[in-house]
Amino acid sequence: MKNHIIKTENISKTYNPDTVPVHALKAVNLEFSKGEFTSIVGPSGSGKTTLLNMLGGLDKPTEGHVEVDGVKITGMKDSKLIEFRLQNIGFVFQHYNLIPVFTAKENVSFIMLLQKRSKKEMEHRAEELLNKVGLGDRMDARPKQMSGGQQQRVAVARALASEPKFILADEPTANLDTSSAMNLLDIMEKMNKEQGITFIFSTHDQRVIDRARRVITMVDGQVHTDEIHKESSSTITENDSQRIDTE
Amino acid sequence: MKTLFVIAWRNIWRNPGRSGVLLMAVVAGLWAGVVTVGTMNGMLNQRVDYLIDSEIAHAQIHNPEFLLERRPYDYIPEFDKLVEILESDQRVAGFAPRVLADGMLQSPVKTAGVRIRGIDITKETQTTSFHENLVDGQYLDSDIRNAVFVGQRLLESHKLRIGNRLVLTFEDVNGDLTSAAFTISGSFQSASSDYDESHVFVRVTDLLPLLSPDSEVYHEVAVRLHDIALSDEFVRDISAQITGVKAQTWNQISPELSTLVELGGVMLHIVTLIIMLALAFGILNTMLMAIFERLREIGMLLSIGMSRAKVFLLIMLESVVLTLTGAVTGIILALISIRRFAETGINFEMFADGIASLGWDHVVYPVLSTQEFAGIIVIVIVITMLSSLYPAIKAMRQNPLEVEK
Repeated sequence: MKNHIIKTENISKTYNPDTVPVHALKAVNLEFSKGEFTSIVGPSGSGKTTLLNMLGGLDKPTEGHVEVDGVKITGMKDSKLIEFRLQNIGFVFQHYNLIPVFTAKENVSFIMLLQKRSKKEMEHRAEELLNKVGLGDRMDARPKQMSGGQQQRVAVARALASEPKFILADEPTANLDTSSAMNLLDIMEKMNKEQGITFIFSTHDQRVIDRARRVITMVDGQVHTDEIHKESSSTITENDSQRIDTE
Repeated sequence: MKTLFVIAWRNIWRNPGRSGVLLMAVVAGLWAGVVTVGTMNGMLNQRVDYLIDSEIAHAQIHNPEFLLERRPYDYIPEFDKLVEILESDQRVAGFAPRVLADGMLQSPVKTAGVRIRGIDITKETQTTSFHENLVDGQYLDSDIRNAVFVGQRLLESHKLRIGNRLVLTFEDVNGDLTSAAFTISGSFQSASSDYDESHVFVRVTDLLPLLSPDSEVYHEVAVRLHDIALSDEFVRDISAQITGVKAQTWNQISPELSTLVELGGVMLHIVTLIIMLALAFGILNTMLMAIFERLREIGMLLSIGMSRAKVFLLIMLESVVLTLTGAVTGIILALISIRRFAETGINFEMFADGIASLGWDHVVYPVLSTQEFAGIIVIVIVITMLSSLYPAIKAMRQNPLEVEK
């Protein structure tokens, strides 16, 4: 019986195949299970972001295929793939990418609106999630009125709002100062541990790598190492919980 | 849809300066366009109404030969029968028989060619409103023997005054030249200064003994109907009832008038189209700029699961809402202006001489019909949709990976 939620089979990605071929990924075989807190690391150009894009169905492999929860998403029709992402995958981006004309609460609700949920449910869940990420008092703030760390926490709440099977986070701490980055990681780690939410990061931030329980290292488009850490280097303490609530 | 509308509205005001400039351009463009068209429309309508009211009437009846050569002996046959028919026709509000002659006017200063119109004062007044153009002296209903009613401009160019005499020379029905002295009873000023200088009016009772001493002849009968829309049907019936006459509607008599009416409608749409095409490039530019600034955001929307159709709809909504807000404001302002000017008129007094030489009134009352108004709205909507299409398609086709750039 399968226990993975994502499986890649020999996925390769070659850019400019007819002119100057660039092999971003070379026959990558990976499986990700529910509840993982995984970092995909590697130097620039190693293929970690390309791999993350493949897992999220944002890009298509030149060869091989990606399966999410038993569904082959490679080759899926564009409109179906968009709908599939909406229902199954959460995204956190490096630049937060919130809708600037929306408040924090509206940003979180928006994805649920696309899922055609009831207004009552949207409001309740958006408030609940914003409280969880420590932004209960910033619900009506627009992105411009929030710090980078706060915006990224809204982005995490938005990613969680659709109740995805897993969350892909591309360099989520790259634009954050240490305090904000630690706070964000605390939140995500807490959700992972308490609610079993699956997080897969593409990063070269050591702070993220240190927290990950599985670290996949990419080099030249190939999986160089795939290590399981029994325990992450930091664990959530009572002090951390307070930091989430108060920052 | 409501949420998309909210996002679209908020997105519009993300860059208030840029959207404001476009909005003002749309408002100003539409206002100026509609008022201009309304004014042109008003000028055309006034010209048409004036000519119908003051001279042509709704229909005219002639001997067809007279229309070709204007010879005095090509008068209307069976005139009495025609009168009987006209008097019994319920559609007829009034008719005016006329005796026409082309001749020479001789004054102490100079001689000039004129068109002499012999009219039945009572019937003419019931049929046309030309007598309202009186500016000095008296109309032909004076006691003066052989009275003549002349244009103010003719009076000035011949250095004549009310009460002066002049000589009219013309050909009679037998082909002989005949002359008579007439006394100026009054002067008129119509919308056309050229008309004023080339036409004189006399009583039919004064002209007939000179033109046709032996019989009562008429060259033209102008007919005013209760409804102008009955013109076509009326002339068909008259032509069928009497042989040897040609009945024509106002637009057959003066095709340039119907062309003017048609031109008015065409001009309206051409001007609106030109304005909207110019604005379309503004809309296109503004929306493309807005999209290029938001590629990452559009990529994010596609990444998280917003369908391409909804992205398309969002950008369309932004363009349409922005443009229609401006267009509706512009059109409302234009309608208010037109309503106001329709009461007061727009006075082009400084161009009065030039306008009058073309036969136009220098005080213009703008008008815009419901049909024309609907036409403008359709053009605005179509052009707005077309100019929004390209940016919306561009946004819809974005790669979700733009989110990472």
